[in-house]
Amino acid sequence: MRQLLLDIRPDAPPAFDNFILGENAAPLEALRAAVIGAGHVMLWGPRGSGRSHLLRAAINEASAAGRPALHVEADKLDGQFVPAPSTLVAVDDIEGLGADAQIALFNAFNRAREQGLTLLLAAERAPRELELREDLRTRIGQSLVFELKPLDDQTRSHILLTLAQRRGLSIGDDVVQFLLRHGRRDLPSLITTLDALDRASLERKRPVTLPLLRDLMQTGLDI
Amino acid sequence: MCSRTSGQPSDAGVRPCFFLQTQHAINSIVTQQLWSFCLSRLESELPHQQFATWIKGLQVECAEASDQPALRLFAPNRFVLQWVRERYLRRIGELGEEFHGAPIALELSLADTATKPAAKRDAVADTAAPTATTPAPEARRATARPAARNEDIPNQAEALYEKTRLNPDFTFETLVTGRANDLARAAAMQVAQNPGTSYNPLFIYGGVGLGKTHLVHAIGNSVFQHNPRAVIRYVHVEDYYADVVRAYQQKSFDQFKRYYRSLDLLIIDDIQFFNNKNRTQEEFFHAFNALTEARKQIVITCDTYPKDIQGLEDRLISRFDWGLTVQIEPPELEMRVAILQKKAEVLDVTLGDDVAFLIAKNLRSNVRELEGALNKVVAYARFHGREISLEVAKEALKDLLNAHNRQLSIEHIQKTVADYYKIKIADMHSKKRTRVIARPRQVAMWLAKELTPMSLPAIGDAFGGRDHTTVLHACRTITELRLADNQLNHDVHVLTQVLRG
Repeated sequence: MRQLLLDIRPDAPPAFDNFILGENAAPLEALRAAVIGAGHVMLWGPRGSGRSHLLRAAINEASAAGRPALHVEADKLDGQFVPAPSTLVAVDDIEGLGADAQIALFNAFNRAREQGLTLLLAAERAPRELELREDLRTRIGQSLVFELKPLDDQTRSHILLTLAQRRGLSIGDDVVQFLLRHGRRDLPSLITTLDALDRASLERKRPVTLPLLRDLMQTGLDI
Repeated sequence: MCSRTSGQPSDAGVRPCFFLQTQHAINSIVTQQLWSFCLSRLESELPHQQFATWIKGLQVECAEASDQPALRLFAPNRFVLQWVRERYLRRIGELGEEFHGAPIALELSLADTATKPAAKRDAVADTAAPTATTPAPEARRATARPAARNEDIPNQAEALYEKTRLNPDFTFETLVTGRANDLARAAAMQVAQNPGTSYNPLFIYGGVGLGKTHLVHAIGNSVFQHNPRAVIRYVHVEDYYADVVRAYQQKSFDQFKRYYRSLDLLIIDDIQFFNNKNRTQEEFFHAFNALTEARKQIVITCDTYPKDIQGLEDRLISRFDWGLTVQIEPPELEMRVAILQKKAEVLDVTLGDDVAFLIAKNLRSNVRELEGALNKVVAYARFHGREISLEVAKEALKDLLNAHNRQLSIEHIQKTVADYYKIKIADMHSKKRTRVIARPRQVAMWLAKELTPMSLPAIGDAFGGRDHTTVLHACRTITELRLADNQLNHDVHVLTQVLRG
């Protein structure tokens, strides 16, 4: 829970330090190791479980450390894809790899050892359930594979309360519970809502209460 | 204290040992001071993130007592080893010289795990190299002596080995043998002992992730071990294709041809990727002829047997029949357990039989995923600071085991089989009894019995309301036919592999 003290506003660039761990400490550790070339890592889990954040964080960390690093969306990757030696390559949403891109990634796997490439991959489903070329799919399965668990509501409410506190906002547990029941529950949305509440509370000189929140929702706050 | 013991005979015998210990302690302190000095200087010279990522994680060890001041560093993995060697080692050497006022002996090598003593590390590095007589081709140990510049003269054998593109970890010694690869391994060893004169080409085929690549690297490593001057090249077809394209663009076909025809051993992996690459096939055809005429060895791998390769010229296919074609089959349970034990040995972890069986029972179709699962268990145990046990393994593989245990549906089996034999799914339920339809249907029934926990009556039901005795008959028929009919046996293998994923 130590991480909760850090700035996790959505506009902060993805980093390892501003990732909310939840139950995902082990994959984070594997990614840190991958940045220094330990081995390929594959992350899978539902949207909002932090896959993209982690991939981008790893890429940012590697770049800062001077290692060539490259982040590609699967649908932007084509058959011509040949990463430079020593590159840390992150490919997100690998379900969307086209036929040629799959061969390009397959080649990257084959050349990885010789050329010092490290691959970080992410998808919604586990390697075993990916509909990709079998020779590619098994190579992905050979990596260190982690399922990312979405944050639970308890962690989310804890994060919200902590963030509110840091902004000098006092919000009741009832407000948090209401948000978690009625709004979008992914963290970026929750933080946007919190920002809106913060502003409204200042403007109207009213404390953040359930009635204020209801008011806001009626006036069209998109939560 | 030393001065007090002078002149006493009984103490004289003790002194050298005592002295050495003291010397060692002093060396150790000096080394620590030296490394602290290097660290503080590097920290101020390098961007923070660079320092934190590459330098901070290096471990230092006091070198044995010697005249020259020394620093032994250990990198956590091969990548860091290479990275630090190329970018920072020279600077560390300079800092060492600055600290001592004289050049230091600086050594950077691979740490196995954090806790191992150095002697153990060396032993591991040695056994992993293909042979003890040739210098380790893998850069497991990099030594830099800025004063002597030894590192600038690359070892010739090492350079030759680099060019082969072989993976030193894939040897016959590290290959686990079982019924599934017995024949292929025997043929491969034969070829390795008599390259060019036993079976040429050696054509190895089998499903994905069964160890074809390991086997062919083992041939290469073995040939190199016996004859370090042999010109060997391992090439994946995609890279061969890239070479052809490059030769075409740079108009350097002569050079390309000369190179591939100069080889003593050409290992070409995944020939199925030749699919419709006509110019590449053409080039390969000529290289093939030239090499076989000169009695040079060619080793080929493929995911299917020659006649089934799509988009490949007939003249190539017929040539592949000149030598020996051997198959690698999926490993059976005992062999999978043995493979896991071998991998664990390489990772230097102890793996109980119960854990090996748990993994092997749940991952059936290919070696790669077996290895992935083992990696996961090892990483999980390390992360949580626990010993590898059955309980730990189950926790580590929870997601994998769950995903796997999700039952195959009978509809999925029927669809896969129908697609494979290019018949309609409706035929799985129909009353038609012609061979082209009945046989696939029987195969599907057999697969349903093998791969699902469904009862025979339920299976019969799912195949157009057939009686359970029909299912039983189908299963017996297929079991018997597999022994006699190679094609059918092959089909069943492929389908099983596809369905198990």
